[in-house]
Amino acid sequence: MTRALVTAELRRLAATRLWWVGLLVAVGFGGGLTGALALTGPEHFTPPMPGLHTATGVRLVLGMLGFTAFVPAALGTLAMTTEYRYRTVDVTFLFVPARGRVVVAKLVAYTVAGLAYGATLAVTAGLGLYGGAAARGVPLGLSASVVAGLLARIGVAMAVYTVLGVAVGALLRNQILALAVVVGYLYAGETLLMIIPGVNTLYPVLPGGALSALTGFHYVADAVAQQVPTGGIRLLPPTTGALLLLGYAAVAATVAVLAPLRRDVR
Amino acid sequence: MTGTTIEATALTKRYGHVTAVRDLTFSVRPGAVTGFLGPNGAGKTTTLRMILGLVTPTAGTVTIGGRPYRALDRPTSVVGAAFTPGAFHPGHTARRHLGVYAAMGGYPARRVGDLLDLLELTGAADRRIGTYSTGMRQRLALATALLGDPSVLLLDEPGNGLDPAGAAWLRALLRRLADEGRTVLVSSHVLGEVRQIADDVLVLHRGRLVAAGPWAELAGPLAVVVGTPDAPALARLLTAHALTVTPDGPHHLRVRGADAARIADLAAADGVRVHELRTEPADLERLFLDLTAEEAA
Repeated sequence: MTRALVTAELRRLAATRLWWVGLLVAVGFGGGLTGALALTGPEHFTPPMPGLHTATGVRLVLGMLGFTAFVPAALGTLAMTTEYRYRTVDVTFLFVPARGRVVVAKLVAYTVAGLAYGATLAVTAGLGLYGGAAARGVPLGLSASVVAGLLARIGVAMAVYTVLGVAVGALLRNQILALAVVVGYLYAGETLLMIIPGVNTLYPVLPGGALSALTGFHYVADAVAQQVPTGGIRLLPPTTGALLLLGYAAVAATVAVLAPLRRDVR
Repeated sequence: MTGTTIEATALTKRYGHVTAVRDLTFSVRPGAVTGFLGPNGAGKTTTLRMILGLVTPTAGTVTIGGRPYRALDRPTSVVGAAFTPGAFHPGHTARRHLGVYAAMGGYPARRVGDLLDLLELTGAADRRIGTYSTGMRQRLALATALLGDPSVLLLDEPGNGLDPAGAAWLRALLRRLADEGRTVLVSSHVLGEVRQIADDVLVLHRGRLVAAGPWAELAGPLAVVVGTPDAPALARLLTAHALTVTPDGPHHLRVRGADAARIADLAAADGVRVHELRTEPADLERLFLDLTAEEAA
């Protein structure tokens, strides 16, 4: 029965043009952004960064993909909020009065969709990176296996962010609000928090910090560290970052599953 | 089709200080169309939502075939419901919309095609719902409700936005569904709409049930208007047969207690001339207004 619900949710996802948008964005950010950065070369960034022939340069270019995590998160918020927006939630809850199961089915379906998004992003980013580097005749500073590992982690992180988005949407119900919260926090809010002394030491355990740990992207942490007089902010080890990110998703998902059970649907 | 009865007992819903529905006790029988009447804001939709488990009652219970909606094993195979305006993602096509819910309910994919045919939507099935007219949306909402071939149908204001042809089509469909033994509950704030279709009515006013039962009983005995040049003679005759007679102009009598045939027979047996015999429809408009009148200040 739960399987039927997941099937229904995947069908619902496929029934609009949203998946098409997701695909284009994944290719655009993956292949497009990474390809452009690789073609430009970090040594030509402002300020100049280590080039692609160094390990740091490669990590830097791939780590930029972390900044696009707000996209799958935003797409995730639509899972439940679209139902409230168009009132299809009435019909859905009539078909499945155990409302938590609806949210579970959406979490599963969107995990699948998030992994597909992440895979598309990672594969096209890999193509962009190698293509860009090859076009400029620069040998990469990281081995193919390390690059593949990093890309896989980024791909998985996109799925986790999708799930976070689903959970936030299920909690807030209002589409605009959920989008504003997710995009606002991930895109700007978390970075702004880093300006506040004291709060910025929390960065490693915030979703963005956990994501950076997972993707091995130190740029923000290093920038924050320069402002902290007591010295370094140390990102968590990648595995811990991954677990923390999954923990956020799990907590958010649990709350999201439990929250709609009692509320009236008017 | 085995009949399924809806039973509400002391159903009450309060939102903060506002009591939307107060102490409703009623039952809705299978094999009939029951009209759920009341002005806008009377609590009809809240009641329907409580029946469907979307809104939790503050007090009281409501069951469908003896069980609360949320305790039904496969609820959409027992109850189909449609709200107005229909709930659709405008970017879906009707076929995909029904496909999603067929999958959700575990119903075979061929149900989708069957319902599109039944509701005459096949021609538009692959168009985005955002382009649909109100009538098409109503039909699609009905198709969604019928996916599980339910024995109970709850329709919230299904006549809204329908043109006369669409309304007649809807009445015929509801009649057929009731004749198949289903329980059909149709809410409306428009009396005329319900009058033409409902066997029974529930009238709600300010969250209270002010009337319930078969139309005919609620509206009282029918009156027969008799046109005759011998009004006084006919009045004496009919009164002698224990009928209630009130004059209605110099040449007309309004008679209660017998149908037109009996009145004609009585007149013929006594040689009283009758020029006109007309059965008056029950004055439901009056009844509805009386029932839902604001209490005198």
